[in-house]
Amino acid sequence: MNAQACFHCGEPNPASAPILARVQGRQHAVCCPGCKAAAEWIETLGLGDYYRLRSEPAQRNEAVADYSAWDRPALGRLHVRTSSADRAEVIVLVDGLRCSACAWLIERAMRGIEGVHDVGVNALARRVSLAFDPGRIKLSALLAALARLGYLPHPLTAEMIDSQRQRESRAALKRLVVAGLGTMQAMMMAVALYAGVFDGIDPSVREFFRWIGFLVATPVVLYSAQPFFRGALREWRVRRLSMDTPVALAIALIYLASMLNVFVGGHEVYFDSVSMFVLFLLLGRHLAMRARHRAGDVVDALSRMQPVLAERRDTAGYTTIAVHELEPGDIVRVGSGTAIPADGELLGPACRVDESLLSGESTPIARASGQALIAGSLVIDGPIELVVRRIGADSVLAGIVRLVTRAASERPKLACLADARAARFVVRVLVATVVTALAWAWFDPSRALPAALAVLVVSCPCAFALAVPSALTRAVAVLAQRGVLVVDADALEALARADRFIFDKTGTLTEPSFDRETITLIRGSLDEALGIAAALEQSNTHPLGLALRRVAASAPMKCAEALRHVAGAGVEGRIDGIQYRLGRDGFALSLTPAAARIHATIDALVLADETGEIAHFPISEQLRPGAATLIRTLAGAGIECEILSGDSAGRVARIAGLLAIGESIAAATPADKLARLSLLRAQGHVIAMVGDGINDAPVLAAADVAIAIGDGSAMAHAASGMLLSTSRLESLLEARHVAGEMLVRLRQNLNWALAYNLSAVPLAALGFVPPWLAAIGMSASSIVVILNSLRIGRRSGSSPNASNAPITLTKAGAREATA
Amino acid sequence: MNIILLLIPISLILLGIGIWAFFWAVNHAQFDDLDTPSLTPLSEESIAEHDTDES
Repeated sequence: MNAQACFHCGEPNPASAPILARVQGRQHAVCCPGCKAAAEWIETLGLGDYYRLRSEPAQRNEAVADYSAWDRPALGRLHVRTSSADRAEVIVLVDGLRCSACAWLIERAMRGIEGVHDVGVNALARRVSLAFDPGRIKLSALLAALARLGYLPHPLTAEMIDSQRQRESRAALKRLVVAGLGTMQAMMMAVALYAGVFDGIDPSVREFFRWIGFLVATPVVLYSAQPFFRGALREWRVRRLSMDTPVALAIALIYLASMLNVFVGGHEVYFDSVSMFVLFLLLGRHLAMRARHRAGDVVDALSRMQPVLAERRDTAGYTTIAVHELEPGDIVRVGSGTAIPADGELLGPACRVDESLLSGESTPIARASGQALIAGSLVIDGPIELVVRRIGADSVLAGIVRLVTRAASERPKLACLADARAARFVVRVLVATVVTALAWAWFDPSRALPAALAVLVVSCPCAFALAVPSALTRAVAVLAQRGVLVVDADALEALARADRFIFDKTGTLTEPSFDRETITLIRGSLDEALGIAAALEQSNTHPLGLALRRVAASAPMKCAEALRHVAGAGVEGRIDGIQYRLGRDGFALSLTPAAARIHATIDALVLADETGEIAHFPISEQLRPGAATLIRTLAGAGIECEILSGDSAGRVARIAGLLAIGESIAAATPADKLARLSLLRAQGHVIAMVGDGINDAPVLAAADVAIAIGDGSAMAHAASGMLLSTSRLESLLEARHVAGEMLVRLRQNLNWALAYNLSAVPLAALGFVPPWLAAIGMSASSIVVILNSLRIGRRSGSSPNASNAPITLTKAGAREATA
Repeated sequence: MNIILLLIPISLILLGIGIWAFFWAVNHAQFDDLDTPSLTPLSEESIAEHDTDES
């Protein structure tokens, strides 16, 4: 670590009067009093080794903010979960948690604080969970301690601590394990009883086994099978017949009949059948749930957009209060760069806001006095004042969160179709059961119950229930292994059916890059120019911004403020008091008189300040590896491809020529793109749109299946149904292949379930199938379905598989890309 | 044969203990994240060493 950089945070030290911090017996220069305090506090805690262990410099320690507002009881109720009088828990999202040494430091430092019971740090999720004694330490003191260490804390609401998802998956896991263990025990007892039937058994031992069977099956039925009973109750209330009704009915009937037989010493007990039945059904549900949960922390991400504190105007000035204490009609002040706490109307002069969460467009929107502002959007030039109109659950943001939650918990369309089919089937089964029971009651009353049970069990909609989720889940899992994340299961079906692929150009088919050698420098040093450019692009997710940051990775990092993105033009910001612009030359040079222009380049980003140009960054564009393969294979499968790009006609035409894409539309605005999509859809095409998840979000949402290429943050955009997390474009081919295979397997599953039921039900009704055989038949039919689904994604040599063809073609694609 | 009258209840009690332990583990977040903990020993080697040094 050099003397110029701060010992704590690594930022440059001020030239005048160095501030010194004493750590492990040596004086180290630091950049500010905040860092001095942080470093010395870490030292007094005996944690000086942090500086030896860490792999990243710490976050610069700004003056510690006031966290006392967090002690308001209204906020505490929302964020702190109190488990007992002396134990409360809070989960804090921290900024600046960069490496595992940070996790170690936080854990050690927080554990040393009086009143803290337990500290858990998850470096990956950047979350710190704190268990503390609210009587001995206040939440604000904990937050301030984190801030003193240099990590800015953002407490998460208690809702997120034990979120719906977590509770659901925990409960499901418990139910599954109880059902599994219960089934094993019940089967053991059943095997002993069956052996007894053939080889003879002491009646008292038989009685004992029956009671044990009853004992182990009871938790399975009363605990594990609860979801089915609840579901049946719900279905009954809304008068809609679905899967759960016959399932619950079968479970209850078998269990009650067996229980009766145990008590009165009747003939048969079916505890093994009922347990196995519950286990298999739960297994299917569990698989479906896991697929659903993989959709990601969308709601988490959205909820974080809404601030928790607001500054309300009172008679005596402004007080900081919790957002949910706001009432409609309150007047709230919002600072520049912070999020609006509640929906309302602007008071005072016009301002600009960033409503990217609603529109996906990060271009700031001007709002005049009296116009509506939406909670969660960012104020670009503040401070402003607004009158609160709608709060909490009524706000637009809450509506979006609800929508996304529903989308995440909604059953895929395919599954709904299967459900509808199963519902009709269920009605017939119930009718068949009743008819069987009545008919046998007429001929031979003693066989009425076993035959009716056999019909109910053998015809169990198990195979139907598993047919769709097992195929969907397997396809989703296979794709996840190959770097394709399926956010919306409906997207798989649409992908298999898609007959037209539309591609965005930059970042999708091509990869922009900058070359240090070709950068034209007008003044200053190369590293400085790159540092400024990277700082301006620091929050930009456009492929050009990413490419620029990559080439500037070795340049000294600067910090830009007042960043403003202008869609289609560039970005401007202030670094060390100087206003810079970076972007298309017309935009960048508008800061300066036209005479100062030296170079005229078209395909370049221009960096300029008030006095004129600083550097030109020529953009070179390569085809992404695999792009040629992708297009050729799709064309080979008879699928039309086209490019829909906002870029200039010349460059789009060049790429279209390289890839042999017939149709291309250049210089398209988002509105043009939407119009094109709706035109194609009106013509009856099923459209797959492939693009950059963030910048193309509105267009992606309009396609039948949206495939985003990007990183994890793009997941937050519900617009994309699928996400290619790897940079390999070929994975799209594999996804298409797997999706097609899934549809085939799914149809096979449904047909098998139908064929099995049609053949088994009559036999059972005629009394040829004892309930234990019915249970085995049911299990076997489900296993066939599951095994068939597991065949998805297995690479066979004979079929024209996506994995074989592209490899040879990739080389050709790479050659073309370099040509 | 009468030994099973003792052994089976014992096995059921052990099963109950097993289920109780499993519930405890689930409730204490042991099954919430099955992917990342396997990476922690790799990424925190130096810190783990340090921990043992100190304690």
